[in-house]
Amino acid sequence: MRVIVELLDHQSGEFIEAELFDEVTIDHFLETQREWRPVVTEAALYLAKAGAKPILVPRHFHWDWTKKEADLRMLAITFYGLGCGGALQGLMKLLTVGHTCRLPEQAGKPLVYVDYLEAAPWNIKPLMNALGKAPRYGGIGTLLLEAAVQKSKDEGFKGRLALHSLPTSEQFYLKACGMTAVGRDPAKQNLLWLEYTPEQAERFITRGTA
Amino acid sequence: MNTKKTMTLNLTEQEMEVLESLSTQKDLTKTAVLRQALRLYQLVDARLAQGGKLFFEDGQKKKAELMVL
Repeated sequence: MRVIVELLDHQSGEFIEAELFDEVTIDHFLETQREWRPVVTEAALYLAKAGAKPILVPRHFHWDWTKKEADLRMLAITFYGLGCGGALQGLMKLLTVGHTCRLPEQAGKPLVYVDYLEAAPWNIKPLMNALGKAPRYGGIGTLLLEAAVQKSKDEGFKGRLALHSLPTSEQFYLKACGMTAVGRDPAKQNLLWLEYTPEQAERFITRGTA
Repeated sequence: MNTKKTMTLNLTEQEMEVLESLSTQKDLTKTAVLRQALRLYQLVDARLAQGGKLFFEDGQKKKAELMVL
């Protein structure tokens, strides 16, 4: 699957063409380690030393996509990438088994679980702002989450979706995406479990189109 | 989207009852239930092949190893 989507180029203020795809390969994982990880690690160190608010210090500096190479062959796991300007701008890993809904009104029903969602560090606005730089592209997290909702619908899960959010992203999922906070999960570093009902997921992917 | 292939599935009455019950309970089509089962089977099988073990934990945190084909 390859579809043309649009990202906001923060420099020009205009929308530019990007490509959303599910044909993710080990090369994309290697690209994240080569191009993204040093930037995230350096930013985390700089911000921690500068005494920045903990909420601004990236917590995903230790992520390593290359360890997920075997997952590429699993039916239960789907990856999506977002490319623009000849480089990878975002990457996401979804699970379609292993997690079920926790909201009382849909408890136990299957869902798509967003296991990892990462934007290239130069696109993370709060991170770039904290470093005194301008972010490059906007809309990566939103486009990837839309793809996850669509995957949920394609699987017959009607848009039901959940994720554990890093503290730095909680407000994005709550306010920009309209997800419901179900509670902190002691089994997952006390991260916040957020969930979509089919109605919330539909509102998210159709927002601005009414 | 991947091209889909069609197959005929022969199930006993009891198997069909279970499939229909799961379909209702999980709010999924019968095809989606079977797809889920296949994905889970492949995932568990791969983890076991890598030396992993599958456990169920009860309310008292007691673990019981699950045997898989």
